[in-house]
Amino acid sequence: MNSPAIADIKVHHPPGDLAIWVFILAELLAFGVFFTTYVVTRMHNVALFDEMQLTLDRNAGALNTVFLIAGSWCVARSVAAIKLDHRAASARWLLWGILAGGGFLVVKLFEYSAKFEAGINLATNTFYMFYLSLTFFHFMHVILGMVILLAVWLKAHRGGYSAADHHGLETGASYWHMVDLVWIILFPLVYVMR
Amino acid sequence: MQYKSQSVAKLYFIAAIGLFVAQILFGLVMGLQYVMGDFLFPHIPFNVARMVHTNALIVWLLMGFMGAAYYLVPEESETELFSPKLAVLMFWIFLVAAALTVVGYLLVPYAGLAKLTGNDLLPTMGREFLEQPLPTKLGIVVVALVFLFNITMTVLKGRKTSISIVLLLGLWGLAIFFLFSFYNPDNVVKDKFYWWWVVHLWVEGVWELILGAILAFVLIKVTGVDREVIEKWLYVIVTLTLITGIIGTGHHYYWIGTPEYWQWWGSIFSALEPIPFFAMTLFAFNMVNRRRREHPNKAATLWALGTGVMSFLGAGVWGFLHTLAPVNFYTHGTQITAAHGHMAFYGAYVMVVLTMISYAMPILRGRAANSNKAQVMEMWAFWLMTVAIVFITLFLTAAGILQVWLQRIAATPMSFMDTQDKVALFYWMREWAGVVFLIGLLVYIWSFFCKGEDKTAA
Amino acid sequence: MAGTFTTSMARNIFFGGTIFFLLVFLALTFQNEQIIPQRDQRAQLAANPAIAAGKKLWETNQCIGCHTLLGEGAYFAPELGNVYKRRGPEFIKAWIKTQPTNTPGRRQMPQFNFTEQQLDDLTAFFKYVSEINTSNWPPNIEG
Repeated sequence: MNSPAIADIKVHHPPGDLAIWVFILAELLAFGVFFTTYVVTRMHNVALFDEMQLTLDRNAGALNTVFLIAGSWCVARSVAAIKLDHRAASARWLLWGILAGGGFLVVKLFEYSAKFEAGINLATNTFYMFYLSLTFFHFMHVILGMVILLAVWLKAHRGGYSAADHHGLETGASYWHMVDLVWIILFPLVYVMR
Repeated sequence: MQYKSQSVAKLYFIAAIGLFVAQILFGLVMGLQYVMGDFLFPHIPFNVARMVHTNALIVWLLMGFMGAAYYLVPEESETELFSPKLAVLMFWIFLVAAALTVVGYLLVPYAGLAKLTGNDLLPTMGREFLEQPLPTKLGIVVVALVFLFNITMTVLKGRKTSISIVLLLGLWGLAIFFLFSFYNPDNVVKDKFYWWWVVHLWVEGVWELILGAILAFVLIKVTGVDREVIEKWLYVIVTLTLITGIIGTGHHYYWIGTPEYWQWWGSIFSALEPIPFFAMTLFAFNMVNRRRREHPNKAATLWALGTGVMSFLGAGVWGFLHTLAPVNFYTHGTQITAAHGHMAFYGAYVMVVLTMISYAMPILRGRAANSNKAQVMEMWAFWLMTVAIVFITLFLTAAGILQVWLQRIAATPMSFMDTQDKVALFYWMREWAGVVFLIGLLVYIWSFFCKGEDKTAA
Repeated sequence: MAGTFTTSMARNIFFGGTIFFLLVFLALTFQNEQIIPQRDQRAQLAANPAIAAGKKLWETNQCIGCHTLLGEGAYFAPELGNVYKRRGPEFIKAWIKTQPTNTPGRRQMPQFNFTEQQLDDLTAFFKYVSEINTSNWPPNIEG
């Protein structure tokens, strides 16, 4: 169904509720300050950071990047689908997005358990303080993002969204993209950049 | 006054102002003891004056919050209070308990008071701000629970607005976090760690919900801006407050034996704590600019705007000043902390309670607003007290910077007491600013008795 | 698309965000509890009952009303978290015994009439606190 609402959506920026954007900006600010602190601290401890970085599981990080990008893509498909009023498809895509998030969590938990078995915690050294803090803070965001997507999916599944009204879906999707975006900065910064 | 039961608020407000006076008088005693060390010694040692000063502040703010809740909730819920009798009863219990506690502080040596009040059963006394004897602490819990029951039942039987939800959440949080005052392990690190769950999670957490709710209520009333608009901004502001403030607790965990990761987490999140205060300032001014009526109570509007500005300065700016771990390493436990404490408490909590009193008291006394003359006097009091606190803060900041320099940074550091002698001039100036504050407070009280042509009846 | 800023969404975000950050804080607290045994001298505390007795004396005489301990308290009198290292046990005991100085105009500390046993408990407490790992705070011995 090609409703005039589609034209409307194009002029409405940003997508989703303004309240979530205040929240997203606050979160990005927190992450931004955290990243900046990481970069500055690293400049003073290059040797330690470079050495410790090699102990990270870069493959797991890369796999997780794929999971999150795929997840974001699924959620974007879901929004596109609802704009065409394909309600069932929209809900299905959301489920795939949640699944991708679940994949991220599983990989991350394997990574964490290896670190914890090695006796690493927030007091190990400055690098691991940052590694654990940043990834854990992000990890929690993935969980929160999944909870939000799940709530949105529950409504989508019941056919609660339509081409004319999918405010909640776009709000949830915006948050999920933020979670993805943060990882796309975090991964190269902590795992790769030397 | 729309609901008869709102009138119980009046008792609370009057007692709050009474305790406010006590707080300031003992503050002046302490200020003088800073420069004339043996003043009133041994009758009122510094520690006793300080207990009265801080505990009176806490109790009168709590009284103010309770009065505000009793006034605000019936109006928000559009129903009479669940039990006005219970509210009056709790008021007297609270007042008598507070008075007995102060008398105990002043007349009995603290160790004797501890023995007398059964501190051995469950040692909770002797920790900063939580000096109250066990019976007082239990009394606070009982009064708080009965109060919460009363307020919650009122909300449940009436209209549920965002303002009353945020207020209730703040008040419940207040009661719940107070329970940590009963946890006092021998391990100093753990003792200090959970002590902050009362202190920080009160003033930089749940109290801010109360503040936001009261401010939003008064803004709706004096500006006539749509409730819808004010309520959603209230939610946004309290969200920002809690997402920065909860982990911001970490800025107290730098040097008390807790692990070093708190230095990072605490610095990062508390550095963001000024944002909600800034948002609140913008919010207050924005709403007043968009006002859709000219409320006759100009003084209340002034207090509301003042709360926005001064809480941002005191809690936001002066908090940020020493919140980063590398700075705090040098400033921790100096007059800088005292400077921040004074302006933050005044700007955020004193002013919001006075905002509510300013708005509600004339109505409780049967008129929409006080006479022009009384309002002018009240505004004089506003400026006297506010300017005085700004100067108290500036002088303490100067003393603090000098103290940090002489005692902690200089190549040959001075001892604590030698440093104190060097900064005595600033303590004298602080004391004089304190006298101005007292004058402001007296003018404020005087404004209640000022006759003049009343504005339209409520 | 009506209502790009709704009260209900703001409310949901408030509740969700608050619970979320509370959980993160609790996780950090959990980690805190795991790490502090390496820093808080709990073995000493368990081995020597005088420390707990000293802490109780510290509390029931409201020392925090004038002094700071690890930077927290009133700022009227010297920091005592490191007083054991600054002055040593004998000086501390002698000092407490001779109070007040009654020097005109000077800040006065009350006389608490402690027994020798109590003075030993207090110094044990100060020794314990001075050995807590405070990340090298205070910046120097003057506190």
